Amino acid sequence: MKKLSRNIKLFLTPFQGHSRPGIANSPLSIDHSPLTIHLLVLLYSCFLLTSCEKDFNIKIEAGKPQLVVEAYINNQMREYNYVILSRSLDYLSPNFQSTPVSKASVFITEGEIINNKYSWNQASRVQLVEVNLPMIPANFTSGIYFDTLLMTNAQHALLGAAGKSYLLEITEGDNQYSAVTTLLPPVPIDSLTVGFPYIDENDDNNTKVRITNHYKDPDTLNNTQFYYYRFFENRNSFGWGGLSKSRTGGTDDLTNGQYIHLTHPRGFAAPDTINYFMASVTRDVYNFWDSYNKARDNNGPFATPVTLSSNIQGTNVTGCFTGLSLSSKTIILRK
Amino acid sequence: MPKTRINTLTVALLVLFCSTQAIGQSIRVFIHISDASNLEVQDASININQKKYKADSSGNATVFLSPGHYIVNITSINHFPYFLNLATRADTSLNIIMRLRESLLGNVTVTGSRNIDRNEMSVQTINASQLRKLPVVLGEIDPLKTITLLPGIKNGGEAGAGIYVRGGGPDQNLILLDGISVYNPNHLLGFFSIFNGEAVKNVEVIKGGIPAQYGGRLSSVIAIDTRAGNKDSIKASGGIGLISSRLSVEGPLIKGKSSFIVSARRTYIDQVAHVVAANRIGGNGYFFYDINAKADYIINASNQLLFTFYTGRDKFSFQDPNGARNGRNTVFNTYWGNTLAGLSWRQQLTKKLVQETAVVFNNFSLDSHYGYSTNNFLFTSGLQDIQLKDDWTLNRNNWLKFKFGALHIWHRFTPGAGSYATGVQEFKSQISNQYAREAAAYLSADINVTPRLNIIAGFRESYFNQVGPTQRVVYNSEGVPTGEVQQFKRGESIAKYYYPEPRLNILYKLPNTSSFKLSYTRTIQYLQLATTSAATFPSDLWIPSSKTIRPSNAQQLAFGYFKNYENVWEASIETYYKVMNNQIEFRPGAQLLLNQNIEGEMIFGSGKAYGAEFFLQKKRGKLTGWIGYTLSRAERKFPQLNEGKAYPYRYDRTHDLSIVASYPLNTKWEASAVFVYGTGNALTLPTGRFTYNLGYNPGSSRPVFTNINQYSSVNNYRMPAYHRLDISFTYTHHPNSTRRFNSSWNLSVYNVYNRSNPYFIYFEANEDLQTIRGKKVYLFPIVPSVTWNFKFK
Repeated sequence: MKKLSRNIKLFLTPFQGHSRPGIANSPLSIDHSPLTIHLLVLLYSCFLLTSCEKDFNIKIEAGKPQLVVEAYINNQMREYNYVILSRSLDYLSPNFQSTPVSKASVFITEGEIINNKYSWNQASRVQLVEVNLPMIPANFTSGIYFDTLLMTNAQHALLGAAGKSYLLEITEGDNQYSAVTTLLPPVPIDSLTVGFPYIDENDDNNTKVRITNHYKDPDTLNNTQFYYYRFFENRNSFGWGGLSKSRTGGTDDLTNGQYIHLTHPRGFAAPDTINYFMASVTRDVYNFWDSYNKARDNNGPFATPVTLSSNIQGTNVTGCFTGLSLSSKTIILRK
Repeated sequence: MPKTRINTLTVALLVLFCSTQAIGQSIRVFIHISDASNLEVQDASININQKKYKADSSGNATVFLSPGHYIVNITSINHFPYFLNLATRADTSLNIIMRLRESLLGNVTVTGSRNIDRNEMSVQTINASQLRKLPVVLGEIDPLKTITLLPGIKNGGEAGAGIYVRGGGPDQNLILLDGISVYNPNHLLGFFSIFNGEAVKNVEVIKGGIPAQYGGRLSSVIAIDTRAGNKDSIKASGGIGLISSRLSVEGPLIKGKSSFIVSARRTYIDQVAHVVAANRIGGNGYFFYDINAKADYIINASNQLLFTFYTGRDKFSFQDPNGARNGRNTVFNTYWGNTLAGLSWRQQLTKKLVQETAVVFNNFSLDSHYGYSTNNFLFTSGLQDIQLKDDWTLNRNNWLKFKFGALHIWHRFTPGAGSYATGVQEFKSQISNQYAREAAAYLSADINVTPRLNIIAGFRESYFNQVGPTQRVVYNSEGVPTGEVQQFKRGESIAKYYYPEPRLNILYKLPNTSSFKLSYTRTIQYLQLATTSAATFPSDLWIPSSKTIRPSNAQQLAFGYFKNYENVWEASIETYYKVMNNQIEFRPGAQLLLNQNIEGEMIFGSGKAYGAEFFLQKKRGKLTGWIGYTLSRAERKFPQLNEGKAYPYRYDRTHDLSIVASYPLNTKWEASAVFVYGTGNALTLPTGRFTYNLGYNPGSSRPVFTNINQYSSVNNYRMPAYHRLDISFTYTHHPNSTRRFNSSWNLSVYNVYNRSNPYFIYFEANEDLQTIRGKKVYLFPIVPSVTWNFKFK
């Protein structure tokens, strides 16, 4: 009989997120509610002498395998425009990595919206193929599709442009899938400032500062932003998985048109150079990542079966074609 | 019955004159029957010169007699009979105090429910003394937990306070505290209800055949009545338990005319946790308290005022003990609770006409502050009601009785105000308040068609009107704001609904102390509880019907057979079939707080429930108790869920069995036991899994995968069956003591055979060992507890 420590750790993980005011990740959201988490910790503490956990043999039916699409296009970094294809597993399968899907044909075509209709420029159609690039994480070698120009003529490899739309087409076996994403006009970052210093006793008593992003939310409703930073810790690995572990923002449903001063809780120690990115995304992309944040680590007494809000068309498919319209600034911290 | 016993009764008789002369030949005799603890004695039999009458569930009876001499004999289960010589020439009120027969606590019986003579089916009552003697976890008496031992009434699991009546949802119960509806009846995620056992007089549950005077909820009425204070002398009682203590003080305000009672309870669960698990509790703090108060004033024989008050708060706080060290300071404080107040005036207008007017105030509020590092959020949300109601009873003659009345509720919903500061930035947001008027009028007739056939036919017309001022941000079907904002002026109608709600109860008595009963109920519900989870949270919101959200409705047909065996055994079988429409669910992961498009997160569907309930009760003798068994099915059907196919409701419980028994071992010791068995809850478990958002761990230079679950059907898995045995012993040192101070000990053992009933199950993934294993977490193995109760007379 084991006490509950691991489980509590499990509940506490949702704190790592950070959010802008708005709908997403607000502190009392049901799935990751800190109130719930703390009350549970309290309850378990009270029932320490009693509450226990045991192994439990659960038999569950196997679902149909789904094609999982993870595709990105952005307007600044060509190496991070890629598509990962994989197939979902039985829940109790001992594999921890989805089965990669190789030998699919993957195309991205640029276009624009004219009179509320997409008009695709066939001349821009680029095929993405499975290649082994040096920056691909070790032991993840198949199922990742790139524009091959990245190997030969990187400066001309696929790059998104603000205001344009992109069509993703996938043919895998006899099945066809498609998705569309649009790069919105990027929202400019007015300035970045540093402040709110503190001493991190858990990190050699380093003094750390926080970054505040100053920008104006556009007057139009329905702007959503994600934020990323590249600094010494992730300098070499930055960019994987939607640029990094996503720091999703909220919608501007409640803050439309306001001037925003957003301070991120992450502390940075000098000396360091921080490349800061703010991505504007369309609502479907926001909805996908919002559901993604709710779906991960969703385990416990109050877990709800969250299904991802996919924007991929086709049968038995899930995932997102994520268009990130980036604006960026760099800040240098000196000792 | 030996007459000498009369002398041993500790009785008081109070005859209040009515100075008015008797008009005509009949005079009115009003009888109120209570016990020494001032608890009303329900359903006593009154025999006046060999003619039989019956007191109602409030211990009241009104009989009409000619002036003269009478021998009055009053009998009730568990009480010594009471004899009285009555000579009367004018209208008279009798206040009778009966003495409990077997022990201080009385027998464990469900009273007033299954009597073959009463034309109410699906009604069950448990009184305070029964609540006090049944075993409970950690010694906390909880009326809402105890009623789930009755057939057809289910709880959500070990620690859930949600009550599910005949397949209905937890928000479909009209929970009334002295007639005032309560929106959030729980403390601490539903581990405890807000009802202090010290103040409660009895709990009545109506799960079908709901009378026309009740409305606003689909599935049941759960009426919790608190007791009135003693009108003669100051008394105190209380209890000290493992995690909370309670104290109650009562006494006269004006001797014989007016009384008060104040009961308070506070938990020290956080202090207990600090002692037993200091490391684990860390920076968490939590407590709740609640206060019940009641005052009554008998103005004269025909007029009475009653004031009821409740307030309770939960306070939770968290301060990250490591926050100061790593710059990630996390602070979380939240308060929530209800405040209720009601003033009612009961008036006997004529011999046959009674009216009761009440004005009621009800408030639920949540305030919370959450600080994480440089971010600070403040949230408030709430709901306020002001209600005015007027109820009339007209006893036209021996075969015809009317009840009629009306009510009006003014609702104010404050779904969320938030302010936020991070670094130098501040923002304030306000989700628009919403307002609504709810009203209803009803008429019901209770007709004795023949001595064997009784019909209660009722009709209720309810009305709901959401009104301004408010503003509504218009969203498109994909949840994207269109930029359009609708403004509504003060009082401007936004959505209006009115529905008829017919109610019918038919009783047919058979010659052999048995009867058939049939009921039909249609109910409408205009407020829905927004929750996405199995537990009840203080952050759950009540949401009014609107243009998008149509009121939910239900129809229930129930049929039953009732049989008594020499007033010792009572047996019944009830079957029911219920359909529910416009049921609401939230999309999984829906955001409820600070969401101005909450309606966009809702999906609408229907529900169906049917079943059979078997109940066998032993009311007399040394061994008392009951066996209840329910065989049932509850389903939901939503076009957007489970490919539109019907699926079992989470709390669908095929088999549900409760056995409750009580036995006095001797004059000082009494033993009770409870056994429950129920089919496990239905759960949605993942059927597949994939990784997404390929990340990269810079420390280990390895890819990081995030697992996302894939689901194929809803509630596709059954938890293991839930079963448990509890026992308790009550020890009263001086059971017949006449001293002012008296006390008793309650020792209980919860889950005697240490069954590990899962509170929840989850999967543990170990990437190193490449295994995924199921785990079950259970809260209570065997839990002994002790509570000391005292009375100061």
